[in-house]
Amino acid sequence: MSDYLLEMKGIVKEFSGVKALDGIDLKVHPGEVVGLCGENGAGKSTMMKVLSAVYPYGTWDGEILWEGKPLQAASIRETEDAGIVIIHQELMLVPELSVAENIFLGREITNGGFLDYEAMNAEAARLMAELKMSHVNVAMPVSHYSGGVLQLIEIAKALGKNAKLLILDEPSSALSQTETEILLDLIRGLKHRNVACVYISHKLEEIEAIADTVTVIRDGQFIGSAPMSELTIDKIINMMVGRELTEKYPHEEHTIGDVIFEVRHINCYDPLNPQMKKVDDVSFQVRAGEILGIAGLVGAGRTEMASAIFGYYKGPHSLEVYLNGEQISVKDPEAAVKHGICMVPEDRKRHGIVPLLGVGQNITMAVLPRFTQGGLINEAAEFATIRGEIDRMGIKTASPVLAIASLSGGNQQKAVVSKMLLANPRVLILDEPTRGVDVGAKYEIYKLIYELAKQGIAIIMISSEMPEVLGISDRVLVIGEGQLRGDFVNDGTLTQEKILTAALTRRQMAA
Amino acid sequence: MIASGTKNFTSLFSRYKVLSLLFVIAVIWLLFGWLTDGFFLSPRNFSNLLRQMAITGMLASAMVFVIISGEIDLSVGSLLGLLGGVAAILDVRYGVPVVANFLVVILLGLAAGLFNGWWVAFRGVPSFIVGLAGLMAYRGVLLGVTDGATIAPVSPGFVIIGQAYLPLLVGDILAGLAFLLIAFLILRSRQKRQQYNLDVPPLWQEVAKLVAIGIVIAGIVITLDDYRGIPIPVLVMMIILGVFTLLAQRTVFGRRIYAVGSNLEATRLSGVNVRMVKLMIFGLVGLMCAFAGLTTTARLAAGSPSAGNLGELDAIASCIIGGTSMRGGSGTVYGALIGALIMASLDNGMSMLGVETFWQMIVKGSILLLAVWVDIATSAKS
Ligand SMILES: Nc1ncnc2c1ncn2[C@@H]1O[C@H](COP(=O)(O)OP(=O)(O)OP(=O)(O)O)[C@@H](O)[C@H]1O
Ligand SMILES: [Mg+2]
Repeated sequence: MSDYLLEMKGIVKEFSGVKALDGIDLKVHPGEVVGLCGENGAGKSTMMKVLSAVYPYGTWDGEILWEGKPLQAASIRETEDAGIVIIHQELMLVPELSVAENIFLGREITNGGFLDYEAMNAEAARLMAELKMSHVNVAMPVSHYSGGVLQLIEIAKALGKNAKLLILDEPSSALSQTETEILLDLIRGLKHRNVACVYISHKLEEIEAIADTVTVIRDGQFIGSAPMSELTIDKIINMMVGRELTEKYPHEEHTIGDVIFEVRHINCYDPLNPQMKKVDDVSFQVRAGEILGIAGLVGAGRTEMASAIFGYYKGPHSLEVYLNGEQISVKDPEAAVKHGICMVPEDRKRHGIVPLLGVGQNITMAVLPRFTQGGLINEAAEFATIRGEIDRMGIKTASPVLAIASLSGGNQQKAVVSKMLLANPRVLILDEPTRGVDVGAKYEIYKLIYELAKQGIAIIMISSEMPEVLGISDRVLVIGEGQLRGDFVNDGTLTQEKILTAALTRRQMAA
Repeated sequence: MIASGTKNFTSLFSRYKVLSLLFVIAVIWLLFGWLTDGFFLSPRNFSNLLRQMAITGMLASAMVFVIISGEIDLSVGSLLGLLGGVAAILDVRYGVPVVANFLVVILLGLAAGLFNGWWVAFRGVPSFIVGLAGLMAYRGVLLGVTDGATIAPVSPGFVIIGQAYLPLLVGDILAGLAFLLIAFLILRSRQKRQQYNLDVPPLWQEVAKLVAIGIVIAGIVITLDDYRGIPIPVLVMMIILGVFTLLAQRTVFGRRIYAVGSNLEATRLSGVNVRMVKLMIFGLVGLMCAFAGLTTTARLAAGSPSAGNLGELDAIASCIIGGTSMRGGSGTVYGALIGALIMASLDNGMSMLGVETFWQMIVKGSILLLAVWVDIATSAKS
C-alpha cells in the first residue's frame, strides 16, 4: 500500500526501566539514503539494533513495516534474509581468522563439504578491490590490520550479503578522508542499484554529502525529519542539541614552555614480517603546554608509533625517550604511566574499556590506589571523584555503577578519556580522541585539551580529521608511510592541501 | 511483551542469584532428608556435611579468583595432597612442633602457588598447561616422599585443627559478632549508596535480607551446637569467606582481578601491572592449598598419598555452580562456597543412601552441566 521500503512507527525500547527510545519513527524509500543524527546516547544505535533484531521482536514496543508487511524478526538471521544488513558501530571481526574468512563468516562457500578457500579468497579480494583496498592480503589474519582497514573489511563483509537496506553505524569514525570518499562513492553506487541506506555519523559534512533525508533524534525522542535540500549543517546541529552552537573549535590562549618530551629514532617493524618497516626513524620534540597534532593517512604508522612510545608495540622496535632531558625507559604501559605519560588508545573496545566493570570503576581504574585507606578502597572518596568526572565530561549514564559496555559509544569514549586525565599526565597521547563523539561533546573535549595545555601538559594528538588537527594544534607533524614528512607551525597559513601534499611526498627530513 | 509477573520473578532471581542457589540447596536437603528418614538433616550429619565441604570450600574460595581473572588452575588437588603429606612427614618423622610445622607448610604453599603463577604471568605458559603439569608433578613428588604409604599417626596438637570444635559459648559469641558486623556493613553500604544517589532496594527488602541472614546464621549455630559446636575447619572457612569477600569488593587487588578477567589489554594500558595481579592470585591459591592440606591431614590424622585427588575438579565445579563465569570477569566468593555446599550435600547424601560411587559421579557431572545451562539460558534473555 505504501511506497516505503521500511517504516518504523512509535518504537519504544527500555533498558531496566530507562527509556532509551521513546516513540521514534523512521521511514525509508527504496534507494534512499537517510542520515540519522543525534547526540551521544540519543538512541541511534539502539534504534538500528531494534531494526536488525539484535533486540528481537517482543523486547520492544512499536511496529516495523518492511515492504509494507509487518516485520517481527526473532534473530539477525531473519532480518538479513529479508535484506537488512547492519554494520555495527563496534567492529565484529574475529582477529584470528583471515580477512576472507571474516568476510564469509556464517555463509562460507563450500565445495563437496570442504571450505572452498580459492573461491572465498577471490571473492573477498574482489570486494576489497571495490573498496580500493587491493593492497590488503585477504589470506592474512585480521589481527594483522588495524584502524581504517578493519572498518573497510567490515564494510566488505556487509557488501557480500545482498542488502536492500544497508545500515552503517558510524562507519567513518576510523576512516581517513580518502577512505571516506571511497565509502561515499560506494553508497552512491548502491543507490543506483536501488539499495537504501541508513547512515549514522557525527561528521555532519558526510551527512550533507550523502543523505537525501535527515532524521534527528534527541534523548530517545523523535525531533524531526526533512529532506537534506531544506537543511544545513547548522540547522541539523540545532535540532540535535536544541540550541545554537556557534563555533566548532574553542581557541584559548596558552603559553608554550620548554621542550619536556622528546623521542628519537622510533623504528617499528611489522610483527609478522620483520623486514617491513611500519615506522621509519621518526624523531620529534614536544614542549610543555604545546598541542602537537599528528596528521597523516590512516595506516601511515601513527598508531604504531604511539604504541611504541607507550611501551606496548607488539613487534620488534627501538626508540629513545627523553623526559625533561633525561632518558627514560618505557618498557611497558605501567612504566609509562608512572612517568606521567598517558595515552587514550584508538581502539576503544579492545584497549579502552573494561566492559564488565561499571562506568565509575573504569574511570578510576588507573588511579585506584589513590583512594585506599588502610588497604581498603574508600568508596566515598572514589564516588566523589566519579561524580565529578561524570559531570565534567557530561557522560550520559543511568548510573555510575552501570556496566560501561551498555553506554553509547561516544559516552564510553568520554569515560576512557576521563580515566587517563585522572592519572595526572605530564605528556598525554590522544589517539583519535573524538572518535564517535558528537559535535557538542567534541567541543567539550577540545576545551579540556586547552585546559590541560594551560596546565603545562604536553599533548600529542593523533587525528585523521584534518579540520580537527588544524583547528586546535599549535604544531602539526605529518606522517606518511611511516616517515616524518612534515613539521609545520600551525600559524593560520597551514592548509589541508599542504598537509596532504606533505604526506604523499616522499622525502627524507632532518629531524 | 513478556508477562510482567514472571518477569518480576525472574528478575528477582537474576538480581539475587543467591536465591536460586539457596532454593537448589533446599530442594536437595529436603529430598535427602525424606529419603534418609530425616537422618540427613540430623545435627550430627549437618556438622559432618559442613566439615566435608570445608576443604573444597577453601580451595574454591581461591579458585574463584583464578577463574574470574580468566585463568584456571588444575594443580590444587595435587598441591593440597603434597602440602598435607609434607606436614605429616614433618610431624611424624621429624617431630617438628606444630606451630613451626604449619608455618613451614603455609610458606611452602605460598611459594608453590607463586611458582605456578610465575610460569603463567611471566613466562606466558597457558594456565591450563601449568596446572596440568602441577597436577602430575606435585602428585609425583608426594608419592616419592611418602613411598606411596600413609604417614601416621599425626600428633594430637596437629589434629585439633581438623577435628576439634569451638567451645559452645565462644562459638555463639563469634556468631553474634559476625551477624552484627554483617548488619553494620549492609546498612552502612545502603546509607552510602543513598548518599551517592545510587539506587537502593526498598528498606523492607534490606531488612528482610538481614532477618534471613540472621535466621540462617542462628540456624547453623543452633544446629551445630546441638551436636558439638562449630568445627574448627568450618570456622576457618567462614573467616576466609569474610576476608576474601572484603578482598574482592573493597581492595585495589580485588577490583583488578575483575578488570583483568574482563579485558586484560585495557587494564594493562591503564598502567596496571597485570602480571603482578596474576602472580598474586596464584600465590593466594597456593596459600589456600596449604590450609586445605593441613586440614585434610588433621582430619584424617594421617598424611595420605591420595589426599586431594580430584580436588581441583570439585573446586572448579563449585565455582561454576556458584555462578562464576568461565569467560572471566564475574563471580563471587560466597557463590563459590554455596557451590561447594551443593557438591558436598550431594556427596554426603548419596553416600548415606549407599549410592554407588559411579552413580555419584554421574549425578555430580549432570548437575554441573545443568547448572551452567540454566545460568546461560536465563542470562541470555536479559
Ligand atoms: N544494554 C543496555 N543497557 C542499559 N542501557 C543501555 C543499553 N544499551 C544502550 N543503553 C542506553 O541507551 C541510550 C542510547 O544508546 P545508543 O547506543 O543508542 O546511543 P547512540 O545514539 O548510538 O550514541 P553514540 O553516538 O554515542 O553512539 C544510552 O543512554 C545508553 O546508555
Ligand atoms: Mg551509537
